[in-house]
Parts: sequence; C-alpha cells; structure tokens
Amino acid sequence: MTNPLLARFIPEARELLQVSASGLLKLERNPTDETAINEVFRAVHTIKGSSGLFDALALTRLVHAAEDLLGEVRSDALQIDSSLVDMLLDSLDQVGQWIDELERRSALPADADGVAHRMATQLRQRLGAQDDAPDGGEPADGPHEAAPLGADPAPIEDVATLPPALLARLPAAACLDAFRRACGGQAVHLVRYAPEAGCFFNGTDPLQAIQQVPEALALDIAAAEPWGPLEDLDPYQCNLHFSLLTAAPRPEIEQAMRYELDQITIASVRPRDFVRITGEASDGPIWEDFREAASAFLAAGRHDELRQAVSALRSVAGPTLWRRQALDWLEVALLAAEPDPGLVAALVAAAGSGRFDPVPAAPAPAAPAPAPAPAPQSAPQAADSRQELARSVLASQHRALEQAGYDADRLASVGTVVGNVLLSLGRDADRTAIQAAFEAAREARSVAPVLSALSAVLDGTPLHRTEAAPALPAALPQAFEEAAPVAGAKEPEGRIAAKSLKVDQAKIDLLMNLIGELVVSKNALPFLAKRAEETYASREMSREIKEQYAVIDRLAQEMQGAIMQVRMLPVSEIFDRFPRLVRDLARKLGKRIDLALEGEDTAADKTIIEALGDPLLHIVRNSLDHGLESPDERRAAGKSATARILLKARQEADSVVIEVQDNGRGIDPVRIRAAAIAKGVIGQEEADRLSDQEAINLIYRPGFSTAAEISDLSGRGVGMDVVLTTVEKLGGQVSVSSRLGEGTTTRLALPLSMAVTRIMIVEAAGSLYGVPMDMIVETVRVPRERIRMIKKAETFVLRETIIPLLRLSRLLHLPDQPRGEADAAVLVCHVNGRRVGLIIDNFREGMDVILKPLEGVLTGIGGYAGTTLLGDGRVLLVLDLRELL
Amino acid sequence: MGIRIARKTVHLEGHCTVEEALPLLEALRKPGAHKVVLTKCQGLHAAILQVLAAARPAALAPPADPALAGLVMPFLEASRQVAPEAPGAAA
Repeated sequence: MTNPLLARFIPEARELLQVSASGLLKLERNPTDETAINEVFRAVHTIKGSSGLFDALALTRLVHAAEDLLGEVRSDALQIDSSLVDMLLDSLDQVGQWIDELERRSALPADADGVAHRMATQLRQRLGAQDDAPDGGEPADGPHEAAPLGADPAPIEDVATLPPALLARLPAAACLDAFRRACGGQAVHLVRYAPEAGCFFNGTDPLQAIQQVPEALALDIAAAEPWGPLEDLDPYQCNLHFSLLTAAPRPEIEQAMRYELDQITIASVRPRDFVRITGEASDGPIWEDFREAASAFLAAGRHDELRQAVSALRSVAGPTLWRRQALDWLEVALLAAEPDPGLVAALVAAAGSGRFDPVPAAPAPAAPAPAPAPAPQSAPQAADSRQELARSVLASQHRALEQAGYDADRLASVGTVVGNVLLSLGRDADRTAIQAAFEAAREARSVAPVLSALSAVLDGTPLHRTEAAPALPAALPQAFEEAAPVAGAKEPEGRIAAKSLKVDQAKIDLLMNLIGELVVSKNALPFLAKRAEETYASREMSREIKEQYAVIDRLAQEMQGAIMQVRMLPVSEIFDRFPRLVRDLARKLGKRIDLALEGEDTAADKTIIEALGDPLLHIVRNSLDHGLESPDERRAAGKSATARILLKARQEADSVVIEVQDNGRGIDPVRIRAAAIAKGVIGQEEADRLSDQEAINLIYRPGFSTAAEISDLSGRGVGMDVVLTTVEKLGGQVSVSSRLGEGTTTRLALPLSMAVTRIMIVEAAGSLYGVPMDMIVETVRVPRERIRMIKKAETFVLRETIIPLLRLSRLLHLPDQPRGEADAAVLVCHVNGRRVGLIIDNFREGMDVILKPLEGVLTGIGGYAGTTLLGDGRVLLVLDLRELL
Repeated sequence: MGIRIARKTVHLEGHCTVEEALPLLEALRKPGAHKVVLTKCQGLHAAILQVLAAARPAALAPPADPALAGLVMPFLEASRQVAPEAPGAAA
C-alpha cells in the first residue's frame, strides 16, 4: 500500500466498524439506548467522512445510506428492530470486506458499485418517503440481475422500451446483431442517463461520462426540456439526456458510470424491441404456404423443421423484400436455445402477412418513458453548509482530474476553481500550496502533483474556516441554528482527544529486545563483583559493584515491567467479537442464547491475546453447536428456554484464565467413549479403563468429533485438538469439566506474558541447560538404592506413585559421567499430562530469561525451545521437554 | 485549440472545454446566420454540445473525426430539424 492516508484509514475503519457493530447489538437489546445510537452514528459518520478521500465511492455511498438510516433512528423517526439491525450489520460486513480488499489491492472489487447501489437502495427503502427520486425506478433490477438470462423474457417491469430515436441510430446490421445477442441470452442494456442540471459545476462532462461505458451500440442524445429562446439559455445548466444501448454486462456499466449511479437507470432490452423490418412489399402464394407450414411447426414445437423451412425460403426470396427481412429476424430468433414462442409467432405472422404486429405479450410501444427529471436543487442547498459544498467541489475536481488525465486546459480551469474555493474559505496557506502543485503539474505534464495536493487539502483539516465569514452572513448562522438543537439534545460535549498513541508493534518489540539485552548485561555485574573480590582481592570494589547492580537491577525490572504493560491488551479485544458471532449463530441455529462477558479488562500480552482468538472461537462454536439445546429441548428438560454462555476472564498469579461456561446438555462420557472407539481414537480396553473425566478429555484427541453430521459451524473433527495444541504452544493449559445435563466449562490458562520465561538451570553431562519452570513439578534427591528397575526401565516411588526415570544425558545422546554420589538429582516434570523424573547431574539457580528461538540452520533441531545468554556471556540452551521425551 | 471566431463563422478546434461554452453562445447570439465549423474538432464538452443544439446555427460543418461526428451529428441534425426557422437569429 503506497498511500499513507489509506494505511491509516484501514485500521481506523476496522475499529469503527467494530464499534458500530457492538453498538448495534446493544441497540437491538435496548432500542432506546441513546449512548449506543450516538456511538454507532458517530462511528459510521466518521467512516463515511474518511472514506471520501479514497477511490472508494461505492463504500462511501453504502456507508452514507447507513448513516442516513441511523440518523433517522437517532431522531426517533424510525424504530430500530432486528431486521433493520440485520441489514445494517450486513452493510457493515460488506464495508469490512471492502476494507480488506482496499488493504490488499488499494481498490474496490469491480462489482462494488453495483453491490453498494443495491444495498444502499435497500437501506433507503426503510427510509420510506425520503427515497431518492432517481433510485425509484430501479429496485426491480435486483432479482433480474440474479436470474439467468435465457430467451425467456425478463419480467416486464425489468425491461425497457426502446426509444424509437435510439433504435433509429442503430444501423440495420447492428440492430440485427443486438437482436442476436439478446436472443442468445446475452443481455443488451439500455442505459438512461439524466445528468443533474448543475453537473458541469462539479467537473462532470456527461458526454464524456457516457462514452466511458464499454461496448456501446448506439447513443441517443436529447434535450431534456425543449430549447427556449437563445437569450435565456444558460450554457452551464445541463439540459441533456442520454440513452445508450450497450452489450456490456451490468457490473461493467456500473463501474464505468460509478460516479453517476444515482443519475442513471439500467434495464435490459427485450429482443422483440429490436425488430425493425424495412423493405419492399411483395406478395405471392409462397408466403401464405410458409405461414401455414411454419405455424404448424411452431404449434408442435418442432423448431428444427421450422428452421429448415425458414432457411429454404430465405434462399429463394429476394434480399430487399420486406418479408425476406422478416425471415432474417425469424432465423435469428430461432437460433436461441429456447426461442421465445410469442416473438417467433409474431415474426412468422409478419412473414406471412407482410406486416409486423406488436408481440401480444408486449405492451403497445409507448412513447419513450420520460427519464427521471434532474432535480433542480443544487442552488438552494448550497447555503446549507459551505464546508460540505467546498469539500464536494474539491472532491469533484479531484476526480475530474483523475478521470481525464493530463490536459493543460482542464488543469488550468481546475486550478482556478480550487483556488477560488480555498480563497473563499480563507485558507491562503493551502491555496499557495495548491498553486505550487499546479505549477509542478504543468512542468511535469502530469496531474499527479495536483491530485496528491488536493488529497492532502481534503484530508488535512476538515475544511474549517479559519477566519470569520464575511460572505454569506445570513446562511451560516442559519445553518448553525439548525444544527444547534440537535447537538444540544443528543451529542455530548466535544470528545476529549484520545490520549493514546498508536505505535507500530515492531517498535515495541525492539524495545522489548533491548531491555532483554539490558537484563542480560546486568546479570554480568555479579560475576564482575565476584572477580573483583577473588582475582583482585578488592572487597570494597566488589561491594560497590553490588550496590550499583542493585540499582540497575531494580530499574531494569521496572522498565521491563513497563514495556510489558505496553504490550498488554485487555481480553475485550477478543471478547468483543463474540456478541455478534453468538447472535448470528444463534439465529441461524434457532437457539436462544444469552451471552455474558465477565472480566473483559483482564490484560495479557498481545501475542497471547491474539493467539487466543481462534481457540476461543472453536470452544464457543462447539458450545453453541453441540452443547446448547434448542429451546424446546431445554423446556422439556425443565430448563429456561434461553441458554446462557458465560465468557469469563481473570488473572490468577502469573497467568490469565479464561473460562467458557455453558448451561447446556453437558458432555456424556458414555457417548464420548463409544465415539472414540468407533473412530479408532482408542481401543475398547483403554476406553474401559478411563475415568469419566479422562473420557471427556478425549475430545482433545486429533480426529475426534461426536457430531452426527458435519455442520458448517463445527464438527469437522478438527477444532478441539487445535485448541489444545495452540494453547500448549503458548505455554498454557486447557481443561474441561462437564456435568451431564447441567453444562460444560472449558478453562484455558495462559501465561500473562510470553516475553520472559522463568527457567531453572540444570547440569547434565558437564554442560548447563535450562528447563522451563512451568514444566517442573518438584526437585528431589533420590538415594541410589531407591531407584528400582522395572524390566529395563528405571523408576522410583514418590509419595506412593511410581515415577519413571530418564537420564537427561542419554536423551541428549551425551556420554554419562558417573559422579559416584549417593543420591541422584531428579527433576520431576509434568510432560504431556504425565509425570516423569529426569536424572540430572545437579540443580542450579532459577532465572528469568528472554528466550530466543533457534534460527537459521539450527531451526530444524528438535528438543530445544531456544537459547538465552547467561550473565557471563555463555549461551544457554533451553530444553523443550515435550519434544525431547 | 478551442474557439476561433471569424466574423460569422465559428471554428471549434481541438478539445473544446466547458469554458468555451459561453464565448460560443455569445457569438451565436449575435444576429445573422452563423456557420459553425467543427472540422478540426477532436472532442467537445456536453455544454458546448447543448449550446450548438439550442442555437441551431444556419450551417454546420461536421467534425472530420468520424467517431465524434457519429456521436454528435445525429443529435445536432435532429435539433435543427425541430425548428428550421432558427429563433435565435431574431435577437
């Protein structure tokens, strides 16, 4: 993404979308919640405003429609309900998709204009009477678009009657060709374009605009109102209407006319409207015979024979005859896979009688329907808001330049317009800047400098007047008066500027790395103190170094804490998406679910929070899909019809604990056992040995899924094992407890921060290794005689439990160094759910370290979680016991 | 470039922009029979087009560019046929 504004807009828009979505859900629950509506309105308004800076007109239009609707809700003119919330949420989703698209390609997809137009029209329909006039003609286009275009004529209201003048523009061959396309199922569209009267002022050249439509077949220009006397003519009021016949598909038309969508109507043209037969009259029995034979074939549906009859007669009839031409049309009409019977019959009759009667199904070709009159409204509204106007003028100049490319004349005129606008707003600085940009543009023969300068001005500050307004003295106070009561009643006083700062994560990571280095270097000081004392025999020096060390240590720890705080995010980051998700899924599944969130403020490291999103999603989906019953089932079981899911976060010592509780049907250990055996996850014997709790834990085995059928929510047999692996990768734990008929609780425990790992240093085979502290259960010294051999495996008994023993040096393939001590140092660890004793040479101190993963050629080496530096500069390998055992 | 007026003949040449609509209208408002020569015209703004349509000059030389001619001439011809007695000439 090259545009820095866009780069800033995208995350901001996502945040605002999230705010609006959660606000909408609040509104759905409590339609009178004024804070919520204000919040949503403000968010949507901001998106609309900022999106105007980019080439994302479709997005702006859609958001604008949503904003209008919300405005009505806000002023209590419209009652909000679930279907309205659905519509708005859908629109916001669409906007979200477009934002993703903008991020990927810096542009909206090709069909965006059409989608926006349709969605906006739908939204505006809820506005009722305030529907925009030009939109009125179009809602019928929606279903038409979706229907496959066969020879079957589309519903009558979907199709346009061709203005005779336009048809006359079409050369006979092109007309026949258009007819062929239309019969063959490729829609031929009639685009009617009624530019608004003031369009010249915003840089639109309607003539140029309509020429952008691809695959144009014929264009007809007409005066909207008859021309009056020349003295009264205002050359700057557009009085033209355009009708264009094009073979382009609808999305391409919409793309080409994307700035004018509200001034055009697009309708497909019925094949029969193209029929235009000219030629000399002729007569003879042959025609009468043909008519009889053809009518018979037609009645019997024998199209092949009809085709033969037509081509036979065509080959003998003179090409200039009227009836022969009727046959040409008939032949084309018959080419279609499923010819339109009415049309074919009419053409057969025409060839027979020498006269083409309108097709019965068609209404009499009326005079061309008057296209929607342009609203002569730009002038009175101008006073409404100067800034809006100025912004729109600048924006239109921007896009006019963008459309037209470099053209010295146009550039000069745009320069004048922009200069005047800025002058009237009293923004002299901007004006100078813009003029410089125009100079640059003239020299470079490119519009780029002007475009970027205009964008900057449009973005810079909202177009505020920096000085009092001498012009328009009446208009402004009036505008303020209108705005004032609304602001007073609804809007809380100006928002306090946010005190937060957005920082690239990489910068924080850099800080984190630096403080890590500092901690490591600081650890070198005690070694230095020791050397001062031992090597240089300066006890004084040693003491001073230790004092300094204490200070540096404290500061470094505080600093580390502070930086870690920066990386901390509240769990609400992930919790916030659940209300929407649960609502949508519940509606889809026909379940009634009440979602409660607790402890959203609990914070944890960003990496943890982000990595938690997916596992949590799986758990909640699983709950919704399998755990919670339908309302009927619940009533039958004597529970309230509305089920409840509770998402709870809290901090426990050094970890953050997230629980997902539901009061559904619970997990049935019997079913789990049966399913596990059926799927070959475990054998019968093993299943029998499992306790109920252990059976429940089976849901975390890969390949396990009890759902009878796969739904699109969950139950594909992946999911819960993904949860387990993800959480364990983060150094966390998952546990499930469930009571049949009462519900299930899933508990995730994760470390607060991944940045610092507590390890214990151990000695084995003459080297030092680190073992993550969270894996160590306890350290014991076991006398040699208590180590028993069971077959070939060494074991020992710790508090009446047999614990298998492994030698770390052997695991690492290092030679044993018999030490001849009476006891063995054993590190009892908890690995993969089992306890195991590791025989090592000696225990050393515990330490907080920053783990660096193995990189480069070392990446593939298993058994190590990473490396860290010791205080004296040595590299310590930290073991990954899960991989090692 | 743009508009060139030689007595009763108005030449429109190159790309005619919206700014040229007013001078064109003023030229055509003057009494008498006007001739508009579009031969060297390569493109014109809709505003120019509607001035030409409304003023119905007595003679009109079509653009040499066949695409442009095909675009604007049918409309201009049709406008002239609506009222052959150009009322604009009265002024």
